[in-house]
Parts: sequence; structure tokens; C-alpha cells
Amino acid sequence: MLKLIAKRMGLMVVMLLGLAVITFTVANIAPGDPARLAAGPDANQEMVEQIRVERGFDRPLPVRFVLYIEQLLNGDFGTSVYTGRPVAKDIAQFLPATVELVLFSISIAILLGVPLGVIAAVRQNRPIDHAIRLLSVSGVALPMFWLGLMLQWYLALNLDLFPLGGRLGIFSDVPEPITGMISLDAVLRGQFAVVGEALWHMILPATALSLPALAAIIRVNRAEMLEVLGRDYVTNARAQGIGPWRIIAVYSLKNAILPTLAMIGLRFGWMLGGTVLVEGVFDFPGLGLYAAKAAISSDFEPIMAVTLTLGAAFMLINLVIDLLYAVLDPRVRNQI
Amino acid sequence: MKLKRFSSALTAAAVALALAIPAGAVEKKDDKFWMVIGGRQPVSHIDPGQSYDYAIRMMTQALYDGLVKYTGNPPTVEPWLATSWETSDDGLTWTFNLADGATFHNGDPVTAEAVVYSYRRTLEMNEGVAWMLSDVVKPENITAVDDTTVQFVLDRPYAPFLSFLPWWFVVNPAQVEANVVDGDFGKAWLAENDAGSGPYMLERFDQGTSYWLKRNADYWKGFPYENDDMGGIIYRLIRESSSQRAALMSAEADLVTDLTPEEIETVGNRPDIEITSTPALTAFGLKMNTQGEHMSDINLRKAVAYAFDYDTFVQVYNGNAKLQTSAFADAVQGKVDVEMPRQDIEKAKEYLAQSKYPDGGITLEYVYVQGLEQQRQMGLSLLNSLKELNIGLEMVPLTWPNMVARAADVEQSPDLMAIFATPVSTDPDAVAIQYHPSSHGKYYSSHYLDDAELNAMIEKARSLSEWDERAPIYADIQKRIVELQPEIFGMMRQRMFAYRDYVQGYSDSPIRMTSEVDLYPIYIQPK
Repeated sequence: MLKLIAKRMGLMVVMLLGLAVITFTVANIAPGDPARLAAGPDANQEMVEQIRVERGFDRPLPVRFVLYIEQLLNGDFGTSVYTGRPVAKDIAQFLPATVELVLFSISIAILLGVPLGVIAAVRQNRPIDHAIRLLSVSGVALPMFWLGLMLQWYLALNLDLFPLGGRLGIFSDVPEPITGMISLDAVLRGQFAVVGEALWHMILPATALSLPALAAIIRVNRAEMLEVLGRDYVTNARAQGIGPWRIIAVYSLKNAILPTLAMIGLRFGWMLGGTVLVEGVFDFPGLGLYAAKAAISSDFEPIMAVTLTLGAAFMLINLVIDLLYAVLDPRVRNQI
Repeated sequence: MKLKRFSSALTAAAVALALAIPAGAVEKKDDKFWMVIGGRQPVSHIDPGQSYDYAIRMMTQALYDGLVKYTGNPPTVEPWLATSWETSDDGLTWTFNLADGATFHNGDPVTAEAVVYSYRRTLEMNEGVAWMLSDVVKPENITAVDDTTVQFVLDRPYAPFLSFLPWWFVVNPAQVEANVVDGDFGKAWLAENDAGSGPYMLERFDQGTSYWLKRNADYWKGFPYENDDMGGIIYRLIRESSSQRAALMSAEADLVTDLTPEEIETVGNRPDIEITSTPALTAFGLKMNTQGEHMSDINLRKAVAYAFDYDTFVQVYNGNAKLQTSAFADAVQGKVDVEMPRQDIEKAKEYLAQSKYPDGGITLEYVYVQGLEQQRQMGLSLLNSLKELNIGLEMVPLTWPNMVARAADVEQSPDLMAIFATPVSTDPDAVAIQYHPSSHGKYYSSHYLDDAELNAMIEKARSLSEWDERAPIYADIQKRIVELQPEIFGMMRQRMFAYRDYVQGYSDSPIRMTSEVDLYPIYIQPK
């Protein structure tokens, strides 16, 4: 097991390097002149050149790449050309918000998706199965930002049940950061009223964000359950008179869950990179908005940092999923 | 019985809930009103010496004071830190007398030394507003005559000098010097800390979320209102205009900056929301690359200008815009009415016949900002008009950075590009210079106009100090620019804001940037 982790970690470094090369190239051959943008609309040529030289934009690409990697290895993500803020500080501020939202969303998707998938399989082609199918098809079909806007308009503005956006009310006491995830920090600091408020603020964005994942989990889990339920050993178990819920929960789900698990891992990674629309609608100050701002303004160093951070997160999640596979499936366990 | 009890409990709960929700009421924090302004653009930093945009300007204007300040419509330069000033006869020496009793937020007095330090710092950094004065005055020629007198000795007479000073803010040298790291002029520290003397002080800088300004109740200049209940202003990021509208309607925001014309109309129908629509100095035009393959032909430029349906400009803003009647916007000093091309297909065809392309048969490129619906509609209207001339139009939406990059290179600058340009001063030179080769490379000069006669006039007019001598030259400049047709002259869009009816004191000046609000005079007064 340790050997596997070490091997995968080594592979991860190589993959991150490849990711860095690709992002670096794309970010630099794309049109746009960050020095001119940073200098401002009325800046004269001299001011633009000053920034170009200061930031090293005037050097050849390969030299810049080597310098950038060197800087990375020193643990320095550089600074934003617009704000002058260290990018590491920005990531440390915005990443936890996104992780918090994604964890909350994926929890919703798992806690609802797995049971609904099971129910749909067990009650195949009954009304409840059709109802669940309606949910899962709309989850795939509805654009996330549209759903977000509708939830905001109806539940927040018209019915006033939820806040319009943000992570907390504007005048609320933000807990002193430990993890940067407000709900977790509030638990750790014992500010329990804030925990509720933070979760309350996440319900609408998380609903919008989790729906596509929820739909995918339901569909995969239903299909797998159907297949497993048709197997001989399940028929045998039934013949032996084992209770139906024990057959479903213990004998079938344990086998059916493996592909679902892979799906959850993928979705988790996608969500991390795909929060930008939901963050935009609900003004949830996360990494997605930060990355979008950096991308449209050609702010090179934040683009690199976000891509590498998300890339690393994606790879780590996949590693965890693979390890979980090993825990759940003895055949996989024996291979490593 | 049971059911009845349940339903009455439910009613009680509903009533309690309804009472708990402050339906459109203002909230107080620590017994003071905090006004929430919903805006779209994050505040990159609050250093008055670094780059500027509307969000940065809104913050720095509230945190800092300049020697003078722009107010009103038409915008006038009003004494601020400087109570009076004199100019020498040769127009080179400007002497400013400072107000008594002005203090920085930490209690230090605002001295002539501080003014000198701030101007020199910006010039030496050569960022942000530095371009306005960098080729007119050397840092060492800005001096403190005594504690309350500052003197500028210019390299050459420069009429627009005073009109730029409102954007130069004074920082406290003691605070800045204490935070200089590796000779960075204190940039890193000033980016998120304030060292000013303005009506507001920085309370919290929560990047990407909200920026809190606490009212400086002891402001040396006082406030234009009596009410002492104002605690501060929160500039809160609300990035979607639909969310801004929702926030305004539920009173989560008291003033919002970026609603679309349709949304402004919707919220304006509510009794508890007020809207403003005031003129701006911003002019919009479709700039044509006068050195490009097609548009170097003046007859083609004229043909395109006469083919366009100018009503489109006003329609796409639901009437909240006014067609330009000169190359200069209305609020620019010395603006005169010039006869402008209006749609006239016959005339367009005549011009086309004299051009290199008498039968049309070409396709022009129109570049506009991706996602801006109004600019797309303008393109469609142009496309429609050009059909009459047998000219095609390729509509190319680009992100703003890509547009800036293309405008920076004469080879890449497109045939037509949709551009808003807001001059930073009301002096006519600020607009005229956009049509001078020294502006080539900037986005608003994507027309690459270079006309010897025009250049000579622009250079002469900016070097004279007497307005009576300058005014007639600017009238000629405006005529000449229109004659050269470097763009389809467009419209002046109104500046529009919406706020709750308890927001008082809002005052606008056309000089302010697109979504910038002057925070000094506004306050909350519940009805």
C-alpha cells in the first residue's frame, strides 16, 4: 500500500510538470497584454515597458518557464500583476471557501443520490422510479447557473427563506480563520450560531452545484444495483430467506457502490473546477471567481497557481478513491 | 380541536417570522447606519499611487484628499486641501496654499511636505496617474515653500495642469515610510492600508468579498449633512446584475451600480427605490483603423458613417443616451456643435463610388466586447446598413484584454472597434489628445489617426495658457476630427444608479468613471 502511494506521488509530480508546461504555453500564446492592462487605460508606453521589464514579460518563453519553475520550487506562487498581492495568500483565502462549498454539495449528492439510486433499482419501472428518473434527467439537463438564478429569485427573493448570497450575513462575526472553512472554523471556535448561518448560506448554491452530480450518482448507482440484483448470489440469498433490506444494503450495495465511488471521485474533481458559475450567481467568494477573473484579465501567475492547485487536488482525490477501492474490494487489495 | 391549535400556532409562527424579517428597513450596527453599495468590480488595491479603475477611484476618493476636487455638472475644480492658488504670468509656476487644520487619520497634520512627498512618490513610481504630469514637471521641481505652501515649477506651460490634480491624492509620509519594504515605495502596505486624510477610514479590506469604510466623524472639512448617524459604507461585491437587483429589492444593498437599462426601469417602478440618470463625460464610438487595409480610404470611412442608422445607439439604451454632436462629449470644456453624419444611404453610395471599392464587395471586421448585448445589437444594425453598400460585416466578440492587445498594434487593429472612452479631465486636451499620434497604442486610439494639420493644432492648443486663445483652436480641432471621420461618432450614455429612498445626498458629476460614486456627500436618513 505504501509503495502504491509513493509510486502515485512520483507520477503526480511528473503529471503536474506536464500540466505546468501546457498551462504556461497556453497562457502565454493566448492574445492579451497583461503589462498594458495592469498599467491602466491611459498609461504611456514607458509605463507599460516598465511593468514588462519588472515582471520579466520581455524575456524569451523558455527562460521564463525555467524561472517560473524555480520560483515554484521555492514555494513561491508569485504575485498578481493587478493587485500586487501574493498569489499564495489569495489561494489560501479563496480555496477553503470553494472546498467547503464542494464538500457540502458532494455530501448532499451522496446522501441523496445513493439511496435514491437504490430505491429506483428496487422499485424498477414503478412510479417512484419514474419520479426519480425525472429528477436525474433534469439534473443533467438544467444549466447550473440558470437553476441557481431561479432558486435565488424564488426561494431567496420572493419567499425570503434563504439569503441571496455570500458566505455569511454582512454584519455577522466571521470566526477567526483556522481552516478558512467558515462552518468548520465556527465549530472549532464554538460559535454555533455561525455554523448554522454558514450552512444556511450554502444551501442554495450547494443545491445548484450538487444537482448534476446527484443525477449522475443516481443513474450509475441504479444501473449497478439492477445488475447486481439480477446476479445468482442474490437469488441464492433470497432463497435462503435473508431479509430483503439485508440483501440490498449488505449483499448488493457493497458491490454496486464501486463504480459509483469512481463517479463520485470524478464529480468531486469537476465540481472543484466548475464552481465558477454558482459562485458568480451567489457571490460566494471562492477559487472559481478568482480563476475566472485571472483568466479574463490574462493575469498569468494566478492562472498558473489555480491550475496547478486544482490539478493536484484532482490527482489527490483520485488517489484517495483508488485507495478506497482497495479497502472495499479484496481483489484490488490483493493486487497491490 | 387539535387541528385548530396547530393552525393557530402556525399563524403565530408566520406572524413572528414576518416581524423578524426587516422588510426593506435599514439596519444599524453599533447604533450607526452602514450603507451597503453593491458593485461588480473588486477593489484591486487602495494605493492612490498605483493603477486606477472605478472601484479603486471610489475608495481612494473617500480615503484620501487631493489639493482640489471635481464636483457638479458641468464638473468644476473645487478647492479642497488647497484653499487657493496662483499662477505666474508665464504659466510655469503654480503656488498652492493649504487649508489649516487638515489632519491625517492618525492625527498628523497635512503639511506641504506631505503633498510634495505624495506627488514625488507617484512620479518616481511612474504608475497610475503619473502619466498626467510625468512629461510636464520633474519631481525635484515640486517643493514646499513653507508648512502650508506648495510650489510646482513646470517644464513648459501646460494649460490642462489644474484639471488633472483632482486625481492626485495626498498620503501621510510618516506612515508610508514606516512601511517601505525593499524600496517598494510602501506599495505592498498601502495596497491594503490607508494613510489618508479623507472623510472615510479603512475599517476592513476583505478581498473578493467586501470593503468597509468607517466614517471619519472628525473629518477636518466636516460633512455636507447634519445627521451624525452615519457609521460607514460597505462596498460589497455583487457580481451579477440580477443579483444586484435582487439585493436592492430586498434592501440587502442600499445602492447598486451596474443594472441594465431594463432592470433600472423595473426597480424604478417601486415606490421605495429611486433611480438617477445623469450625463457622463464618456463618449462611445466605433473606431475605424485609419491606417488599416480598408479604412485608410477616407471615402470608405465616410460611406460607412453615412450608412449607419444612428437611432440604434439610443434605442439599445432605452433612450438613456444622447447622440454626439461633436467629437467631444457635452461636458467637455469648449465643446461646439459640429454637423455630424447621419444616416443617408444616397450620400453613403456617393462616397463609396469615390472610394477604392466603388462596388463594395469587401467584408469589414467589427470587434466588440464579448457578452455586451448593446454592442452586439449595434453590430447587427451596422451589418444591416452595410448590405445596402454590398459590404459584409464580420462580427468578432473578444474579451476586453484581447481588444486592448489588438488596439495596441496598428497591424492588428480591426476595421471597426466598439470603444467607450472616458477622459480623466474636462479640459478639451484630454479628448483632443486621443486623436494625436502620442496616444497610438492605447485602446481609444485604435483609429491610429495621424493628420499633420490636426496634430499641429492639438500641440499648439495645449501649450497656451489663456482660454480665450485656446477656445477657437478647439472649435477647429473638433471640426477637423469630424471631417477626418476616424470613427462612427456614437453617443453619450447616461450614468445610472438605483438606490433605496432613505439614501440621501447623492450627487453626480459627469467626470466620474463608469460606475464610480462619490461617497463623501451620501448618507442614510430613514423616512
